[in-house]
Parts: sequence; structure tokens; C-alpha cells
Amino acid sequence: MSEAPISRSPVRPGTATVRDGWEVDARIAAGQLTLSDETPLAKVHVRAPFDRASRAALGVGFGRTARADLGTGEVLVIGSGPGEWLLLGAPGTAGALRAAVEQRLAGTGEFTTVLDLTHGRALVRLTGREAATVLAGVCAIDFSDAVTPDGTALRTSLAAVVTDIARDDRSGVPSYLLHVERSSGQYLADALLDAGRPSGLEVTALRGIA
Amino acid sequence: MMLLPCPWCGPRNATEFRYVGEAGPRPDPASATPEEWRRFLYVHANPCGPVRETWYHRAGCRRYLAVERDTATNEVRSAVDSATGVAR
Amino acid sequence: MSLLPTTRRGGRGADAPVPMRLGPRPGEVIDRRRTLPFTFNGDPYTAHPGDTIASALAAAGVRLLSRSYKYHRPRGLLTADYLDPGAFFQVGDEPNVRGAHRLVEAGMEVSSQNTWPSLRFDVKAVNQLAGPFLATGFYYKTFIKPEPLWPLYEKVLRRFVHAGAITPDPGGAFYDHRFAHPDVVVAGGGPAGMAAAVAAARAGASVMLVEENHDLGGHLRFGDAADLAALAELRAQVAGETGIEVLTDSVVTGRYDDNWVGIAQRNLPGVTERLVKARARTLVVAPGLIERPYVFGGNDLPGVMLSTAARRLINLYAVRPGQRAVVMTANPEGDAGVADLEEAGVEVAAVLDARRQQGVVRAHGRGGLRTVETTDRRRIEADLLVTATGWTAPTSLLNQSGDRPVYDRRSARFVPDPARMPENVLAAGEIVGDATVAEIVEHADAVGREAARRARRDTTAVTVPELRPDPHPELFSAGTGGFVDFCEDVSAKDITTAVAEGYDSVELVKRYTTVTMGPTQGKLETVNAVALVAAATGRSIAETGTTTWRPVYAPVTLGALAGRPHEPVRYSPMQPWHERHGATPLVAGQWIRPEHYGDPAAEVRAVRTGVGIIDVTPIGKLDLQGPDVPELLNLLYVNKWSRLGIGRVRYGVMCADDGVVLDDGVTGRLGEDHYLMSTTSSGAATVWEWVENWLQTAHPDWRVHVTPVTTAYASINIAGPRSRELLSRLTDVDLSAEEFGYMHVREGSVAGVEDCVLWRIGFTGELSYEIHVPAGYGLHVWEQLMSTGADLGVTPFGVEAQRILRLEKGHFIVGQDTDGLSQGFTAGIDGLIKLDKDDFVGLPELRWQRERDTHPRLVGLRPVDGSIVPPEASQILDRSGGIAGRVTSSRMSPTLGRSIGLGQIDRELAEIGNHVTVRLPDGRDITVEVTEHVHVDPEGARQRV
Repeated sequence: MSEAPISRSPVRPGTATVRDGWEVDARIAAGQLTLSDETPLAKVHVRAPFDRASRAALGVGFGRTARADLGTGEVLVIGSGPGEWLLLGAPGTAGALRAAVEQRLAGTGEFTTVLDLTHGRALVRLTGREAATVLAGVCAIDFSDAVTPDGTALRTSLAAVVTDIARDDRSGVPSYLLHVERSSGQYLADALLDAGRPSGLEVTALRGIA
Repeated sequence: MMLLPCPWCGPRNATEFRYVGEAGPRPDPASATPEEWRRFLYVHANPCGPVRETWYHRAGCRRYLAVERDTATNEVRSAVDSATGVAR
Repeated sequence: MSLLPTTRRGGRGADAPVPMRLGPRPGEVIDRRRTLPFTFNGDPYTAHPGDTIASALAAAGVRLLSRSYKYHRPRGLLTADYLDPGAFFQVGDEPNVRGAHRLVEAGMEVSSQNTWPSLRFDVKAVNQLAGPFLATGFYYKTFIKPEPLWPLYEKVLRRFVHAGAITPDPGGAFYDHRFAHPDVVVAGGGPAGMAAAVAAARAGASVMLVEENHDLGGHLRFGDAADLAALAELRAQVAGETGIEVLTDSVVTGRYDDNWVGIAQRNLPGVTERLVKARARTLVVAPGLIERPYVFGGNDLPGVMLSTAARRLINLYAVRPGQRAVVMTANPEGDAGVADLEEAGVEVAAVLDARRQQGVVRAHGRGGLRTVETTDRRRIEADLLVTATGWTAPTSLLNQSGDRPVYDRRSARFVPDPARMPENVLAAGEIVGDATVAEIVEHADAVGREAARRARRDTTAVTVPELRPDPHPELFSAGTGGFVDFCEDVSAKDITTAVAEGYDSVELVKRYTTVTMGPTQGKLETVNAVALVAAATGRSIAETGTTTWRPVYAPVTLGALAGRPHEPVRYSPMQPWHERHGATPLVAGQWIRPEHYGDPAAEVRAVRTGVGIIDVTPIGKLDLQGPDVPELLNLLYVNKWSRLGIGRVRYGVMCADDGVVLDDGVTGRLGEDHYLMSTTSSGAATVWEWVENWLQTAHPDWRVHVTPVTTAYASINIAGPRSRELLSRLTDVDLSAEEFGYMHVREGSVAGVEDCVLWRIGFTGELSYEIHVPAGYGLHVWEQLMSTGADLGVTPFGVEAQRILRLEKGHFIVGQDTDGLSQGFTAGIDGLIKLDKDDFVGLPELRWQRERDTHPRLVGLRPVDGSIVPPEASQILDRSGGIAGRVTSSRMSPTLGRSIGLGQIDRELAEIGNHVTVRLPDGRDITVEVTEHVHVDPEGARQRV
């Protein structure tokens, strides 16, 4: 083929540009409450026994997140379910990250599965002091610091769609990574923008995890 | 709305779960009589009081849970992961 | 004639209303510096900010506000608050507005409901002369026969019914939901609620304080100087606590399992109404007391009102409620009302002290109160009759928590039974008992601290001081008729008639007479109704009991219950292309799919003669990994899976344990322990949960990992005799028949995209490849297929063309050609079902189905007249005209130029070549031939090339 194919997010960009082989939104928000499409991030999904060597190798269990570097740059390890992890890395690193995870888990001798789900998930980030207020319009979870502090991972129903939520604050400002099955990505973004309109929620460009 | 205490996720709204039904053993398909098999399929105790049930936390941990619930009060006496036995 | 000014008629002219606004009052809530214009039934009026619609009209001297529901009797103010049954208005597009609660806004257009042609001259008031027409239980007694006239009855009734007009245009406003997780919800913002909230917040709890009125304070707002001082102090304390969120003009609508508390919030800018769903650790119920009307002849005349109504008008809105008053009082609050009336310049003609057996017998007047008849046989001219005859405890939220209120004869009211309340619900203030404001605050303070303790699960319980109701005379009815339920126009006579007709339980009386079933939902009328039933049956009130107070406590709009629309929709990565190319959208579950691009028959012909591509992304896809996957497949599919080679694909059908067909699809083996399973589009979620169910509950020892990858891939089916030619231009996979045969799977690149899965299968019956590409590249690959295949005439086709193609090929669709009773052999997959397997889900039932051999068969159908396409679900008839089956799929075949179908038919008629009768929905019968399933290319030669 002549030119490298372009990958697209399920969330249609307002102002499109191409970065790292992905079509992304180029808009930069002026306000402090933002929604960014993070779908281009590498997403590697791991299944392994929930309480044994693999858990130790990944550094975190269900319900929490941790940062790590497996040689592919900084990754966010999300304990997304019992015996289930999602690792987020920089765009374009999925293949290397998958190989690195497989290598790390191989030593455990446990039954594990590592899949590249970069294309299987839509991922957005909601950031701002009012982020929890926006979520309270569409989700029954208690987003207070006492119940869901920074580093919390959970799965629940958000605007009637099963959604994985990881709280990943940015410089002390609450920030939530939300991901759903890819096909629901546009719906999720629309639901959040609708719920966030009274709080002044704006779209901004991809922020990444670093 | 009632809360179901998920052994993995903590108390969650019942709407996050799918109610699977009363829990009971599947008869041996090689030897079961039609009577036994249909009793397994269709006849449930449906008591007013404690009952052992299966629930699936479809919008949460996606685990099947063995739940003991009092249908008169909705009090959940125990809820454990069907496969691993993990309890809260 | 009367000495009184004529203030009872709304309108202009000779007897224009007399303005009733007083000079400034210490507790008034109006802002006299500003004036707001509004209209009432077209006439101009003014209000001050803070005025309700009713207070502004009262200030203008308007006393006749509405007509009653059934008899269209003139009505004025009764309670002068949210509950007032005499003040329901239409405001602009909004019906049933609580006029004694809703604040006036500039330019508001207010009109009376339920009046025709006008408020003052109401034709329907003839109902008053037509008593028998609207007798007790009239819904049940009249309009029963003749039945064909029911639509007419409905129209007539509708004109008489108590309701405004709604608009189909919601305008710019929207409805909202919010989830909240406070430690403590306090229902009621009076002195007890405020004190409880402050105490709970000071103990470290997060508190949501909910008040129905526009301001905190409860009855302190319209009390004396000491009350106002206490109010100011409590408001300052509330404002000083950051842990308290105050929701005014909001009401706790119900308490549900695990302290799920609904709150309707109404005062948000841009939001018509918001439903707050609060999961409270502790609920404090502090609603205060509701003053109870007294039942006597004429008790609904404009000018008859409760003592709290008079005090609200005077002290909150600086409105004189009348010129010359009679007061019947049985309690200190009534006595305070006398003082307020005198201070407001109302001439108090008589005070009837009910504690000394004085009272009202009847009120007289037409269109408004003229004279009051007393127990000491006086007839007193008055335009205002104020009653203070007792209190009702609104125990609704406590009942919903499991409490059963008990009747306390000493205080003449139902009181809560603390022993029956759950750990997470507490009651505070006057609902528990009577005391001075200071004592109420002390009690509520302790309740608030205890609520915080329970919410935070601290150990040391707080001692809550005792609070007891004061003695109060039992006063319900003067025995001279009058109305019990002002909303529903239920009279005392209706209640006694109902009892005489045999409806001797209060719950039956309620349903028969509709007492307590109107907008006030029993808050004003329940206890009087119970007392009348008790008197009529000769039982005590305690024996009679009360009706059940169910949620919701106050009306909630349907919009608030619905909230923002949350109907998930799912899109394929190729959706932007489909939209650009004029696809007709088809809603399939949550998916939006192209039904066709203009001409489905042409799309079918393109696939049969050239090449077409269809977006099949919604097909369910499960990634299966692990050494025990064959065990799993053997268990879930009716066929055998042990010897599926790497690179092979096999079709399978799943049944449930009742033998009914659950789903079908193909599964391919990609590697030693790696499989990709496909499911139907609609069955994707069900099958995943099904697989997990068997793995988690029956075989947790099996080493299998299941990951749904449905939308990780964009799936495209390339079908038609030229599909190989098209795809070979874009892929590095060898597509030759020798290297990549029918029912095989390969992995490779397509259009420069790596990690694609290609399987060669044939739902359409043509040579075809289903390619699964990483979803982000789906649009790229689709566009490449379209441009690269332009010279081949590549045609996009939609779901409709696919349905026709598969029907020509005789493939059944689970859920269309099968239903919830179709066991495996009915679907015609006899060859697939391996009854010799040790076990698979559905095995015993399928074995028995085979043994019985009485099941209906899925067959092909061809109408003898090939131009007729019988609608799906048309019935197949047996020889005696009974139902012997139905048409499950039916289309015109562009390939054959005739109609074809599939159907389920009784075994006796299922023989190939039989002619059967199909009855069309229009009643015509047609003759249809029973055929094999496959209509086109029965040998399957086209797909195996």
C-alpha cells in the first residue's frame, strides 16, 4: 500500500488532525473542566489469577491503579476486574507493551492471556474540580474522595452503559479515565458533554497518561 | 432501590446485576428422568424467607455470585464469588 | 344586605375587589420595592417578588380562585401553601400549578382550570343540581352501559375533569437527575429539621436538608417575634455549616430499600425539575404537622380557611385574609391566629373555643362566606371563618420505612411507633410530639447527633429526650355534611353512604369514593375520612386504622422521573461512510445499521453477479484462549468440536438446557489454544454471559479466558463471484481455493492493516470472505475496498439485502425463524445435533424431542402465485382451518423473480411438495408449496469455488 493507514477513534473529532497515526481532535479547551478523547492510547488487556504471582508481577490488584514502566515508557496499570487488568501506554506502543507484559508474566507459570485491545475500547478523560459533579448526573457511584480516592478503579453503569472508571488525578486536580466498548464511544462522549454542559465542560485534545 | 453487597465491588444498586435465579444442581443428563429434569428447569421453591440464588454482576466485576437472600426483608446474608468462593 | 364590602367576586366594575395588602410585617417575604405584572384569566394584576400567585390575588382582593373537580363549586384559599386544593392553576403551558406555592414571575399568564366558559359563570356548576348523576362511587355506577357509547362518555368526563392542558412542545427547559450520597438526609426544614441538620453536620456528617417551601423555617416563618428570633438564629447556624447542602422548593418524595431517598428539586435555573436520588446513610424525618380542616356544611366556601392559612397570609405576605372573622379554635396556634387577625385589622366577630364545646355548625353563602351558624345557635355575619381544630402527622416517609402509625386518642392524631422504625430512619420534631421551640430544637439536636452517629457507625448512642403530643380534643366533623376531600369533591355524606353500601373498610371506602386520591393525597383529609368511617361503622378510630401512605409523597413530573434521555446507541467504524452514502438507518437493538442504500434488490443482484460488501461489525465476537476451549465448545454447542484443526472454521448451534435454540455462529481456531467465536449480533451479550456462567458456576477448573472483542474489530463481508478478485488486490493472504478453502480462517494484512482475521464462510451462498480488521482502521479498509473494486462494480449492501440473500440460501435466523419454544430439531439442524455426546447443554431435552418426533418443522415455502409475498407471521392452516404453523420469513427473491419463504409447520403437513393454505392478514387464503430450505443453489456450488 502507498501510504500508512490512518486509525480513527469512535468519537468524531470537532477539528481533526493526525497524530501518531490516529485522527484526533485538535481543539484546546480554555476552561478548567475538560473532556479529552484518549482512544489512541495503547490498551493491553490481561487475564490471570486474581491473587497470585501475576498480581504481584503487575503490581496492583482489582480496584486500584499503579504506574509502571515495562520498558515501553510509562504505563498506567488498572486493576479493572478480579483477575483482569488493563494497561494504558503511549499511542503506538501496544505491540511492544503486549510483548513486555507477556514476558513478565511468563515467569509466573500461571495461565494468563494478554490481548491488545487498543481498538476494542473507547477511552475518554474527564478532568476538573467539577468532574465529580458531572459524573453525579449520570452515575450512581459515590465520587467523594473518601469513597473513590485518586487511584481507584471500578466498573459500573454510566448513562446506562457499562463503563470502566479509573481515577487518575492530574497535579491534584480530579481526573477520571472512562472506557467503554468502542462502539459506545460516541454515545459516552455525548452523554458526558450533555451532563457537563451546566458546568461548562469543554472538549480538549488528547492528554495522555504521562 | 436495594443494594446488593458484591464481594468484589461492595454494595451496588441491584440494577447493576442480572438475577439468574434460584441456585440448584443440574441433574446428570445421562440418567435424569424428564420429571427430574423439568423440576430442575421450571419448578422453584420461591419461598418467603431465605433462599439461595445466583446473581451476575454484569455492570461490575462480571462475576457470578452465590447469594443467600431473605425475600421477605431483602436482607442479604451472604454473597460470595461462585467460582473462587471469595467473600467480602 | 351585608355590611361587608363585596370582595368575593373576581372581576372588575361596580363591585371591584378591595385591595387587602397590609403595611409592612416583620416576617414578610415580599420585596415591596419591586412590582411584577401578571395576568389572571386575562385580567392584569401585580405582585411583589416573593408573592405566590395566590397571595398576589388575595392581596388584590380576589377570593374566588377556582372551581371544584366534580361539582364545580366555587373555591378559595384553604391552606395557603403547597397543599392548597383551591389554588390549582394553569400557568402558560404548565397545568396543575400549585398556586399558593408557585412564586409570581413577571409576565406570567395564569388561568383557572376546570372552568367553562368562565370562572364566575361556570356551566358545569349545574353538577351541583345533578346530585344523583354524580353519586357516591359514580364511576362505578354510571357510564357502564351501553358499551359502544364509552368513547362518548370519556369525552364528556374529560371536559369535567380536574386538569389543565399540556403542550406537546417541551420548550427549552429540560429535566435532570442527580445521584447523591449524603450521610444524613433531613426531610423538612422547619425548626426541628434545621436543628437536626446543624447537629449532624457538627458531628461530622454530610447533610442534605430538604424543604418544601422557598425558605427554611417551617411555622416559625409566620410566628411571633420570639419565633422570628429563633428562626434567624437557626438559619444563621445552618448557613454556618459547610457540611449542609440546603435544597429549598424541594421535597422528599419517597424512601425505598436501603435508604434510597428520592428528592424532587424544583428551583434550578434552566431545569424544570430534577430528581435527586440520594443514598442516605440515615434519614431524619422532620416534616412538622399539617393542620386539619373541620368537616361541616359549607366548609368549602371561599372565606373558610385554616388558622395556618390566615397566619401565612398575614405574616408572610402581608395580606388581610378578610374583613370580619369568626374563629373556631381548639389549640394555642388557633389562639395565636386570633391575635394575628386583630393585629391585621380584621374585625373578629366571634371566637368559638372548641375546648369549651363551642364550635361551628354550618357556613352559609353563595360564591363566598356570608354567615356562620354556631353551636350556641347564633348566626354571625362574616366573610372569614378560621378553624384550628387539630393536626395531622404526615407519617408517609415513616410508613415507607416500615412504621405503622398508631392512633393516639389523647392528642387526636396518629403518631409514629419508634419501635418499628429501622436503624437508618429517625423522626424529629412535632411529628413525634409537641413542645416549645426550644424543646423541639433540643430534641432535634439529639436526633441529629444520633443520625450522624449511625451514619458514621460510631459506637456511643446519643440519648434523645422524650417528646410527647399535647392533649387535644377530637374534632373531625360537625355532623352537618360538608367536604372531606376538597380535591376530589368527596363529601361526608359520600363516606357514610359508602359505608352503608357495605364498604366498611377504610381502604375500600378510599377506592370507592376516591377520598384521599386527589393531589393532596390524604395529607388534609385522611384522618377526617377515617373518623367518619369509624363513626359510621361504630368502631374506634384506632380499630378503623388508616390508609397506606405510599410513595410518592408529592407529585413528581414524568420528566423528572425520566431525567436526561439515556438510550445507548452503538455505531460501527464505518458509520460515517454509511451516512455520507445515503444509507437508510436500521435500529437493531442498540446498533444503528444500514438497512440499504436505496435499492436492496439491486444490492442482491450485485452480490449474485459481481461483488458486494456489507458492514457486519455488530456480529458478536469472543476471543477464547486456553487449553480447555474444546471442552467448552463441546459443552455449549450441539455438535462436536474436539478435532477442529488450526486454520479451520466450523458452524455451531447452541441450545439452552430446555433444548431451545439460543444462538448460532461460526468459531475458528487461530492457534493451538486460541479460538475466535462469532455469535449473532443480537445474541452477543447473552452468549458472553452464557459462556461465563458455565465457566464460573459449573467448571471453574477449566482453563479458558473469554474476552469480548465484538467492536475491537470492524467486520466486513465481501460476497459474490468476484470477491476473491477484489480481496486479493488488498491482502497478503493467498486466497487461492487450494490454499484457503471454504470454512477456513487465515490471519494477515488487508489494505496495509496488520493483524486482520479472514474467514471464508458463506451466509449469502456466494463465494465470500468475512474480514475482521482492527476497528480503528475499519473505515480505511472499507474505503479501500470501494475504491479498489470500482472497476469490479463493488456494491455496498445493507441488512435487507443480506436477509434476502440468506433466505434464498435457506439459512434460518435465531429468534426470527425460531422462537422461545423452538427446540433444536424444529430448526432443521438434525444433522448437527450429536446425541451421542456424553453431555452438552440441552442434551436430554433434544433426545426426548427426537424420541417424541411430534415437533413442528422448519420448511421452505413457495407461494404457488409467486407474485404474492405473504407477510411474516401469516398463519398456515390445516385442513380443518385450524392453525398449523406460520410464515417466519418471507421476501420477493430478485434472483428467482418470485416470492420465497421459511415457516414453521406441523409435522403432519411438513412433507416436501405438500400444498398448504396460508391466511393473509386481510383474510385472503393463498396456496403455498412446502419445499426444502434452500431456494437458490441447493448444491452449494457457488460458495465452494
